[in-house]
Amino acid sequence: MIEFKDVTKSFQSGSIRTDVLNGLTFKVEKGEFAAIMAPSGTGKTTLLNILGCLMKVSSGSYLFEGIDIETLNDDNLSEIRNKEMGFVFQTFNLLERTSALDNVLLPLIYADTYPADAKQRAVKLLESVGLGQRIHYKPSELSGGQQQRVAIARALVNEPSIILADEPTGNLDSASAKEIMEIFKSLHNQGSTIVVVTHDLSVARQAGRIIFLKNGRVEKTEVLS
Amino acid sequence: MKALRFASVSINTILKHKMRAILIILAIVVGIATLTVIVALTQGMNKQIMQRIQNFGPDAIVVHSGGGKIRGPSTASEANLKRKDISDIENIEGVKLVTSFQVALDMPIKYGNKFTTSWVWGVESNWKDAWRRGTSRGEFITDSDNEQLSKVCVIGQTAAKELFGDANPIGENILIENVSFQVVGVLEKRGLSPVGTDFDNLIVIPFTTASRRLMNQPLYISTARVIVYNPSRIEAVAKRIKEILRENHHLAATEENDFRLSTPGEVSEMVKSTSKTLNLFLWLVAVISPLVGGIVLMNIMLMAVSERKREIGLRRAVGAKKKHIIFQFLAESLTLTLAGGAFGVAFGIIIAFLFNLSGKPISITWQPFVVAFLFSSLIGLFFGIYPAKKAASLDPANALSQK
Repeated sequence: MIEFKDVTKSFQSGSIRTDVLNGLTFKVEKGEFAAIMAPSGTGKTTLLNILGCLMKVSSGSYLFEGIDIETLNDDNLSEIRNKEMGFVFQTFNLLERTSALDNVLLPLIYADTYPADAKQRAVKLLESVGLGQRIHYKPSELSGGQQQRVAIARALVNEPSIILADEPTGNLDSASAKEIMEIFKSLHNQGSTIVVVTHDLSVARQAGRIIFLKNGRVEKTEVLS
Repeated sequence: MKALRFASVSINTILKHKMRAILIILAIVVGIATLTVIVALTQGMNKQIMQRIQNFGPDAIVVHSGGGKIRGPSTASEANLKRKDISDIENIEGVKLVTSFQVALDMPIKYGNKFTTSWVWGVESNWKDAWRRGTSRGEFITDSDNEQLSKVCVIGQTAAKELFGDANPIGENILIENVSFQVVGVLEKRGLSPVGTDFDNLIVIPFTTASRRLMNQPLYISTARVIVYNPSRIEAVAKRIKEILRENHHLAATEENDFRLSTPGEVSEMVKSTSKTLNLFLWLVAVISPLVGGIVLMNIMLMAVSERKREIGLRRAVGAKKKHIIFQFLAESLTLTLAGGAFGVAFGIIIAFLFNLSGKPISITWQPFVVAFLFSSLIGLFFGIYPAKKAASLDPANALSQK
């Protein structure tokens, strides 16, 4: 489903060039729950941005479902993000002053056709993450763990083929973190493809396979189950 | 359907940022209200000018004694038109009628213990045809009044009101510069002259009486009014009158005219030129103030874009295309400016009516509405497009990482 071939990414800031990814090569198969493990500040978010088609590679290629992402234009990338991907961020990124329900519905606004059952679908998802009683709550009225669960429901509403999570438990206490990882595991058990980028080994250990990065390339992979 | 979904995003965003929305709407309201008031006032003024030109008469030429560029009628003291001049003008092709009259400005008028001043004109019986203005009650000056140098007068409505109030003035005697005249009629109401003087503050007496008994000007005529058959030929007739008068007055080619002609074209030019500077200034204000509103809009929207970078990044991440972001921000700007335009036009009309109450002529037609709608849409689009494009061009990954 995902194939990175010799991907590099560097940033130029004035005369200083920073190489973040240096020939990264790996694959993630459909239905897999993979964790990408890297220390803080070593380009995890850059990698996730590339995976999520929010950023282009400097060289190498990124194939998503066999399509070379480099060949697509901005609108095509938006469509892929809208139809195929669900994002879960460390900082939740919910719209303020907007109900949990409307936050979950957000990706559908940009869908080609707005499903007739959109609202029921969103409510059902919020119920499945344990927020059935709080669909009209605004983010400021929810705890961190609850906000992240709204974000997960939002990531699922367009029935994506992959969920991309960037340090999803980074801002949560250990109890909420555990709940969130349980949700990911159960989603994986239901057949979802999930990629979690993290620096936390205990989070990575919940996945089926860990890809360890070092100096912008794969150091080793470890299959857990 | 999709557009409707996006529009509802914009509306929701506006409702979530009420203070910002109010500030933008206020800025647009001020601009559009100013524009509306100015359109209403200039329209009113133009209508008034047209009315005054109508009062002058579209088919009339007035010949004044004396040259120069003085506006207003020539008085009997500067009279230099002769009977021959008048009969020559009567013979010009296209001339329907000519009436001569003597003019005195601000004559003292007395009735009992009441006192006023009024224009006094000595007129012939055909004056009423030349001005299309007869009496609203009583009789007009007749040919026999002129033959007998009768001391009769027809008074205008302003003078009638000042001297007699609501009482019937006919048959009463008034003193014009201490000469007693019997009131035989009241002139029809006429309104203001092109330069804004009161056409109703006028008393007419027989031409001969004025020349010999009041103004001591038995030989010359101060003013004549010429009516042509065809208003479109008026400039040609005016030119011919000039030629005849120059010849009759033996003017050398280097000498200036010792008379003046007023034509409707000239009158309208004159009236317009006096209001031109004011109009220009008003229109400048009218155009600038909505523009200021637009700049306020752009400022606030630009601030909104940098405040909402994360939101924009998130929308892009969940699948919004650049055009969707542009649409969202543009729809926000447009909704706000149209709301501002609607309130502005309503507010402007209220202010225009207040001006009207204080005596300013206004005219409210469809124009302020169309102008307000067009202007506020244009402002919304013109000043909204830059912030919208800026929002859409944000790098989504970068925008998402904003704190």
